[in-house]
Amino acid sequence: MLWHIMKRELFEQMSSLRFAFAMFLTVFLMVVNALCHIDDYKRQQAEYARAVSEYLVKLEQNSTNLYKLVLNGPGELHKKPSLLSFCAHGSENNLPKFASGKRAGWGRSPVIDEEPYNVSGIWRLKYGGFPPVKATDIFPTFLKIDWILIISNVLSFLALVLTFDAISGEVAHGTLRLTLSNSVARRTVLTAKFLSSFISLGTVFISGVLVNLLLLHLSGTLQLNAQEWNRIGGIFVVGLVYISVFIALGIFISTLVSNASTSLVILLLIWVIWVILVPSMLGTIMGGLNRPSVRGDPNPAYFIRDGLLDRYKARGLDTEAPTRTYPPTPATLLWAEFLSEEAREGAKLNKTYLNAQTHQIQIAREFNRISPTAIAQYAIESLAGTGFQRHLNFLKNAERYADEFNNFLISADRADPDSPHIPFVREGMSDKPVSFKSIPKFQDRVRLAEAFKGALLDLTLLLLFFTVLFAGAHVSFQRKEI
Amino acid sequence: MLWTLIRREILSNLMTFRFFVAVIACLSLVLASTIVLTNDYARRLARYNADVIKHRQSNFSAETYSYFTPELDKPPNPLSIFNQGLEKHAASRVQILRGEVPYLWKSHRNADYDNPFQRLLTELDIVSIFQILLSLLALVFAYDAIAGEREAGTLRLMLANSVSRGLILFSKYIGAMVCLLLPFLLSFLFALVFQRLSGVTHYTLDDFVRIGGIFVTSLVYVSTFYLIGLLISSATRYTATSLICSIFVWIVFTFIYPNVSLFMVNRLVDIEEKLEQANREIDQIWEQFYREVEKRRDPLEGAGCSRWHGGTNDSRNCSYIPSEFASEIPAAKAYYQFLAPFRIRTGEKIWSVRKQVFVETYTRKYAVARNTLRFSPTGLYQLTTEAWAGTGLFRAEDFFTQARQYRQTVLDYLYDKKAFGSRLWFASDRGKVSWDDMPRFSYRPPSVLDDASRALSDLLILFILNPLLFMITFTVFSREEV
Repeated sequence: MLWHIMKRELFEQMSSLRFAFAMFLTVFLMVVNALCHIDDYKRQQAEYARAVSEYLVKLEQNSTNLYKLVLNGPGELHKKPSLLSFCAHGSENNLPKFASGKRAGWGRSPVIDEEPYNVSGIWRLKYGGFPPVKATDIFPTFLKIDWILIISNVLSFLALVLTFDAISGEVAHGTLRLTLSNSVARRTVLTAKFLSSFISLGTVFISGVLVNLLLLHLSGTLQLNAQEWNRIGGIFVVGLVYISVFIALGIFISTLVSNASTSLVILLLIWVIWVILVPSMLGTIMGGLNRPSVRGDPNPAYFIRDGLLDRYKARGLDTEAPTRTYPPTPATLLWAEFLSEEAREGAKLNKTYLNAQTHQIQIAREFNRISPTAIAQYAIESLAGTGFQRHLNFLKNAERYADEFNNFLISADRADPDSPHIPFVREGMSDKPVSFKSIPKFQDRVRLAEAFKGALLDLTLLLLFFTVLFAGAHVSFQRKEI
Repeated sequence: MLWTLIRREILSNLMTFRFFVAVIACLSLVLASTIVLTNDYARRLARYNADVIKHRQSNFSAETYSYFTPELDKPPNPLSIFNQGLEKHAASRVQILRGEVPYLWKSHRNADYDNPFQRLLTELDIVSIFQILLSLLALVFAYDAIAGEREAGTLRLMLANSVSRGLILFSKYIGAMVCLLLPFLLSFLFALVFQRLSGVTHYTLDDFVRIGGIFVTSLVYVSTFYLIGLLISSATRYTATSLICSIFVWIVFTFIYPNVSLFMVNRLVDIEEKLEQANREIDQIWEQFYREVEKRRDPLEGAGCSRWHGGTNDSRNCSYIPSEFASEIPAAKAYYQFLAPFRIRTGEKIWSVRKQVFVETYTRKYAVARNTLRFSPTGLYQLTTEAWAGTGLFRAEDFFTQARQYRQTVLDYLYDKKAFGSRLWFASDRGKVSWDDMPRFSYRPPSVLDDASRALSDLLILFILNPLLFMITFTVFSREEV
């Protein structure tokens, strides 16, 4: 019976004007998306390859002396652009493309024994590097046409257009009464209607996706491995769940009112507010109320202000310079301790500042999750490997690498028998060249588990929305007088 | 008769659910957006005020003529609360250098946020909300105006009286416009009152004329969409068909067309080649410049003066001239007597190349983008309000035009004072330059008439659409069988 009703619904929907329009719109936008991505892809890959080779050249230049590596660090660690950026652009233009592991940015030359002793801070990780807003960016391209836009705005809209008269239309025509006079349970009718809308919209979605992927494949920009195909599959599932939320919403409102037009009017207003306006306003308001408590980028000379230097001065820092003797003099040990602590504190300060900044955005995102559009956007972004969450994961990768790099510095120093092994003071460390091959290189990658973990919460929330709306539709349909 | 019809329309509209929703949605969204953007404006204003105080001090602290490279600031535009336009993309600061004529396209925007991650959050201005919401509401009010009455049979009843069809259409139009005006006017006033109470924005009389312009434009925009809806409603038999057609028209005009067309313009209008050619030409001019400079010996080389040196600028300040260089003073005077005007001439030569190429590239691309947008009422609305608010490209360029004028004033002043050949150009050892009679810069926004003339052409197109649509609707409606 279910199948019977569903078949009837499907035939009716697929031969309607709105289905044709939906199909045309979706496929058209998917084609536009694919054509634009082909250019973007080449540019992104070329840029990334250039950045990485520059990084390697700099690293090789610094490997002539171990202490040069200690001072200058590994250089700019670049974020690998996602191959799936056509699914979600993730505002990557507004996010830094790298984390920099460079010089601390301070140098001192206290006069010790009438000779200035030059010392500068050792490298640490910094999180800045936001691209500037250039005047040439003023051409209005306020929306990028990616899968997110197509799914969250266009398909949700089409879902409402396909379902607004699911019940109310049949009530008005009197056909529902006819249907129900047979031995059919109401839940069967509702489920059939849901499934048929789901299948027809799913067809639209999958056609768009296939056209898109085919175009990309033919142009040779789609060289994906199994992991990336998995992620595309994940995005597809999120898209389907998101669409079902709106189909359920459409059916729910349709059961509540008796007139098809009223139901569409209500749905449209809900759509404008829920899909367009809430994700772009609520988070911004709440984020605006939660400004970061730490303001301004940490100054490289913070340690003077914070009293770190005075503490060490009191212990006699500037009275004696470190020497290259073994066993080490107390002055060498003190300088080493000072430099290590300063680097540690500096890195910690950078991190605190980053956390304060990201906290504000996290709050905004939590509030935006009132709208399923924002939820779907976050889920798709984390699956596609773009956007805010991905940026945080990238920074974690960079931090992991920073530890690895420091460990390497210490072990390279240990390997040199002539070194006094007192990191990280110049006189206490090896000054021999380091084999470039042995230096760990930074390689950014998106972990599948991380991507799915990021999307899981959002997917659950979407399912929750769906369950509530579909249950609501059931209840109100059961109680409806026909 | 007309009055009776209008009253009936108003009453029947006022008591509907959609009117209630319109009022609530409009008010809450506009208020939320006003809060966000007023705070944002307050922050930018505070930053501007701090900058002005800082620069007033630093600009005129130059001790020699050559160190005078003032930084000019543009105040934030309070009307950006209504339409942000390019306000947060175009630069608001420029430095006057002798070797470079300032221009918009090179400039970078200074950080607008304490937290750069905030760029991930979108901010909708009041015009964008109206653009989406009012057009939708207009269609929602219009879709059943004729089709609904025909379905209910009341249209036949009405026409049985001695009422002309034109009169019916006109009364429908007036009745619905009055009802649409209410939520719109209310939210507009709320926004103004909130801004007044917050005490951040101080509008001049000119600004009120501009706000009036935005108000009138919004009215014409709503009316255009209502008439589109009315046309569809009189051309279709059923309310459901009318509604579906209306919202497809709506989504195409407000979302799909503006985005896709701008996207295409961005892709298809290629300007890189011309820019590269111009850059090569400019490089040649610089080469010539350096060849000429290298022929001459710098007499003060090694005199220990502080110097800021580059292609576009050469500032020098010798607070003390060693005795062995005393004999070089006449040579130095002659050196700068030649070099400074030469650098100015080179800068102007480069500008004449740039000016030409900008007209052919950026300005043309922008014009193409604007012309494409004009095919959608939403695009017209966006452009007209942008012109009223003064947040468009013209205002952004106007700041640079004034900066160029100020640069010319500065150069005239220096020529008048015969500064290039004077000792004060490079040395402050015998007293500093007094800047008392140097003209100060302050940005003068263009008069409201300028903005109005820019806005009026687009407003006129939008306005002409109205009688046109009304006439078409009338023709369709009078040929229709009831």
